[in-house]
Amino acid sequence: MLYRWLRDLHLYFGLFVSPFVLLFAASVFYLNHGKLIAGDAPPVETYRDLSLPDGFDRLKGREAVDRATAILPQVRVSGEIGYLRYVAKDRHLIFPVSKAGAEATIDVDIDARTATVKRRSMNFWESLSYLHKMPGPHNVAIRGNWIGTGIWRLLADATIYLLLFISLSGVYLWWALKAERRIGAALLAAGAFTFVGLVYAVIR
Amino acid sequence: MPSSVKTIEFWNRKFHYYLGLYFLFFLWLFSLTGLMLNHQSWFRDLYARHETQYDPDIESPAGETQLLQTLDVMRQLNLKGEIDWPPTQPVGHIDFNVSRPNGSAQVRVDLNAKHAYVKEFTNGTLHAFQIFHTFSGSRFSQPASSRDWALTSVWVLAMDALAAGLIVMVVGSYYMWWRLKKRKTLGLMILVLGTSACAVFVVGVL
Repeated sequence: MLYRWLRDLHLYFGLFVSPFVLLFAASVFYLNHGKLIAGDAPPVETYRDLSLPDGFDRLKGREAVDRATAILPQVRVSGEIGYLRYVAKDRHLIFPVSKAGAEATIDVDIDARTATVKRRSMNFWESLSYLHKMPGPHNVAIRGNWIGTGIWRLLADATIYLLLFISLSGVYLWWALKAERRIGAALLAAGAFTFVGLVYAVIR
Repeated sequence: MPSSVKTIEFWNRKFHYYLGLYFLFFLWLFSLTGLMLNHQSWFRDLYARHETQYDPDIESPAGETQLLQTLDVMRQLNLKGEIDWPPTQPVGHIDFNVSRPNGSAQVRVDLNAKHAYVKEFTNGTLHAFQIFHTFSGSRFSQPASSRDWALTSVWVLAMDALAAGLIVMVVGSYYMWWRLKKRKTLGLMILVLGTSACAVFVVGVL
């Protein structure tokens, strides 16, 4: 009974998570070996008469980011705000916004109520790598300020939890195959030996 | 069924669990560290590290190139790891950082005075564990960066092997599932659901 349940869950969870596993696995090659060649400087678009929230000179963190999101539809940008940089000297607010496939840098002149936007497209592999790294460890206090990042975080977490389940259930399903125990155990031991040996060699 | 198809099915099935068993610990490492990277707020003092400073005299580093001289300084200081140089070097200096998962060092070498100033950092266990996820010695957004420590290359090879193994396992599992008579419809619905959820992000809808 347990065997049949685990076998079915192993299959169905595996099928659901498989596109995400392919994404995370394929992007590893670009992250490890790819090189992004800088292209031509992107064209600059200017937007005028913006309706700007106030308080960027005193607000920080999530509160400031929440206000900055009000600017995004006015400059036709959507995505995750990476960080906010307020330049007090000339009252400019500069921030990058990104999602898979595209990123933009927005420079808002608060007094003139104008913004310049530089847009850049990501290639396919860069998009996969971007998703691989999101939400990531940086700027934790403001990360997930776009709904897409929030949903992706849930899916990335689900991928991990389901992978852990699939790997554990896979071990159980293998152990049930008596004829495969010996060679399987040898491969498990070889994998453990390689893993421990490599980690030890790197940190010793 | 032709015998060649039977042979493919036989080995595909075996490969599925042989690869899974061999890569089990690597998969767990990258899964758990992936979870850590996405949930930094779960940890307190993750980046706390122990710092030691020393400024020993050194011999003039041997070698013609910056890499050879840096390697010679590292040999003299008994440092190991992946090297990272600043974009520009002060005149008469070799400055570099060297890092590996369990620690790093900032080294400033005054070539004329034959003197090194070293700040060495030892990472906590969890931080070191986390770094293994990203320890590749290369950043795609920095074309000039490259690996210069053999063990980084070996670790990257392990990452690549795991990634390739996972791709083989996934593709093989599609075949095994498709050959099942009873679970095609529900399996297809679940696969379409997962693919759609993934695709809306890849194409930039979300």
